Amino acid sequence: MELGVFYILAAVIVVSGLLVVTLKNIFHSALMLILCLFGVAGIYILLHADFLAAVQVLLYVGGVTILMIFAIMVTHQLTGKKIKHYNEQPVPAGLIILSLLILLIVSITRTAFEVADKAEPMPTVAVIGRALMTDYVLPFEVVSVVLLVALIGAIVIARRD
Amino acid sequence: MATLEHYLILSAILFCIGVFGLLSRRNAVGILMSIELMFNSANINFVAFSKFINPDILTGQIFSVFVIAIAAAEAAVGLAIVVLLYRNFDIVNIDKINFMKW
Amino acid sequence: MIEIPFINLAVIYPEIAIFTASVIVLLVDLFMKGEKQGTLSTITMLGFAAAAIIASRQWFHFETGFSDALIADNFALVFKLLFCAAGVLTLFLSVHYLNREKIFRGEYFFLILSSTVGMMILASANELITAFLGLEVMSVPLYLLAGYDKKKLLSNEAALKYFLMGAFASGILIYGIAFVYGNLGTTNFDEIYRALQGKTLYGEPLLLLGLGLILIGFSFKTAFVPFHSWVPDVYVGTPTPATAFFSIAPKAAGFAILFRLLFKAFAPMMPDITGILWVLAVLTMFAGNLIAIAQRNIKRMLAYSSIAHAGYILIALTTGTADGAKAAILYLLAYTAMNVGAFGIVILLGREGEKDLSIAGYSGLSRRHPIAAAAMALFMFSLAGIPPTAGFIGKFYIFRGAVSAGFIWLAILGVVNSLISVYYYLRVIVIMYMKPEAESDRVITYPLSLMVAIILAAWGTVQIGIFPNSWLNLVRDSVSGFF
Repeated sequence: MELGVFYILAAVIVVSGLLVVTLKNIFHSALMLILCLFGVAGIYILLHADFLAAVQVLLYVGGVTILMIFAIMVTHQLTGKKIKHYNEQPVPAGLIILSLLILLIVSITRTAFEVADKAEPMPTVAVIGRALMTDYVLPFEVVSVVLLVALIGAIVIARRD
Repeated sequence: MATLEHYLILSAILFCIGVFGLLSRRNAVGILMSIELMFNSANINFVAFSKFINPDILTGQIFSVFVIAIAAAEAAVGLAIVVLLYRNFDIVNIDKINFMKW
Repeated sequence: MIEIPFINLAVIYPEIAIFTASVIVLLVDLFMKGEKQGTLSTITMLGFAAAAIIASRQWFHFETGFSDALIADNFALVFKLLFCAAGVLTLFLSVHYLNREKIFRGEYFFLILSSTVGMMILASANELITAFLGLEVMSVPLYLLAGYDKKKLLSNEAALKYFLMGAFASGILIYGIAFVYGNLGTTNFDEIYRALQGKTLYGEPLLLLGLGLILIGFSFKTAFVPFHSWVPDVYVGTPTPATAFFSIAPKAAGFAILFRLLFKAFAPMMPDITGILWVLAVLTMFAGNLIAIAQRNIKRMLAYSSIAHAGYILIALTTGTADGAKAAILYLLAYTAMNVGAFGIVILLGREGEKDLSIAGYSGLSRRHPIAAAAMALFMFSLAGIPPTAGFIGKFYIFRGAVSAGFIWLAILGVVNSLISVYYYLRVIVIMYMKPEAESDRVITYPLSLMVAIILAAWGTVQIGIFPNSWLNLVRDSVSGFF
């Protein structure tokens, strides 16, 4: 049962991911990206990461991709001119990637992981929240600095003056 | 039961798709999408490792939270730059960039 | 109830000082009316000075904090001091330039400061995720600085290229970190070191792959060949003072984390990867120097020369010894002085709109502007590694370290590359002194702030070159506790 769900989600992710990088119409690519990110959220649920799945949907699907669609709509005339973008050198790039993929898969299958047989705490929010306030308080604050810089920087760059 | 290897191979495929898009796309927003795929594949790895290696402390999931935040910040900055280039110079495709150039 | 653990803030005092300054800059910029450049640059300067004073007072304290995610040993502190110096020098370079190009806005200082915060975190990171986040804090402002001259196409393109390359590198880096975490169950450098005991790299293909991806991710920042293709375009398009900053500070930060990663966390695996580093070093030196010869634009030439200099420092990294680390720090200090000086002269001789950047345009400069020509000659001599300048001392210790660690061929190839580089550095001097004066309506004013930067850089270049002893002591102390 679980394996079946995994394969369905994996198929959704791989197919939509491939479409993201190959579709001629960039707007369709963005829609496929949304599907792909939903699939990843499903994988998180399968891995019992409920909080992350919610974050994925809210932040990625709801935030980042919408931002991208806005950018596409600002930079392309949606009506009239056709939105197209081309792939260059897909064959050499594909060959490089194929060898990278084989390398990765061989490495993964040949590594013996020490799988721990412990149950994870449910719900995960409490544990994550506590860790963010104790052991990971510094990275947490550093992320806030990144977000501040990105916020101000994006305004500075995109503002007319 | 889906094992750790299942998830790792899925993430490897997603990572490779992202790199492929990066090498072959000529549109800045398209490249940004490919980069998001790469970040997502890293996140699948983190969460899978978290579940299978040390499930009781969830470190991998916490790392994923950070990665998602960083990805959002990068997307905002990148799209701001794209909008700037388009508005001032009407450029979206970056034909002059060749990622495979030495 | 959440048990709040003891937090040792001392380990991030310098970062706090800089970040506070950056926020004050933003607020003052928002609420102050009228001429504010003087106020803002003073605040920025005070922030750097405060951070530098704090960092120098922590010398030999070896603070650690945040579950050992950060460590403020002397090695980190010397880099923090270097970032402060680079920041202050960049500030002096910027004031006149921003006015000349009419692109002054308060956020410029904010971006420089917040980028420095990221570099400091990177230099003292003792954990992979912290290092990744530090890298992002450093990089995001740099992308924006590259595109700071919004009306210029080149600057915009530089921002886009830098951003896409940087984001790509981040993606590779985080994927590699995930593999290391999955294999060893930890991201802390000390724990990685313990977990690696008794393992051979080739028995762990995924770990090898993870380490390789992490190295590639950081190699983009330090611009090793073949991960350098963004450098020339970004350096040329970026406003010149920011280019000077790019060529020094992020590079030093990248080396800081690479040293900590390879000499501390992955030290047991170091012998397995010296071969790769060896090849990278040779490629980086040759590509940088040979392509630099063909350049006609001074900024482009300095861009390729900065790639070549990263190659020399990579020699020090390859040796894997304490002497190598010392030589690398000394070289970075020397490189900061001489490169800021060279870019200072480029700004001095430039005109509004970034014109007059061709090397041929410097012909006969010595007759009309003897001081500028002499200063440029000094920096070119130093970059070429001719005694008695800082560049010579830096190269001398790097090559000596390589020979004593048994990397004779690497040292020989380094010397060969130094000789190649003499050709294009000396060509600038020959053009300035031997060629007839170019028909030019070049008017040089000598703005005070720019002169301060150039004089400081010249002082550093000569000081390290002639009296290296105190610097050698500093460098020796800075690796204490690291090995």
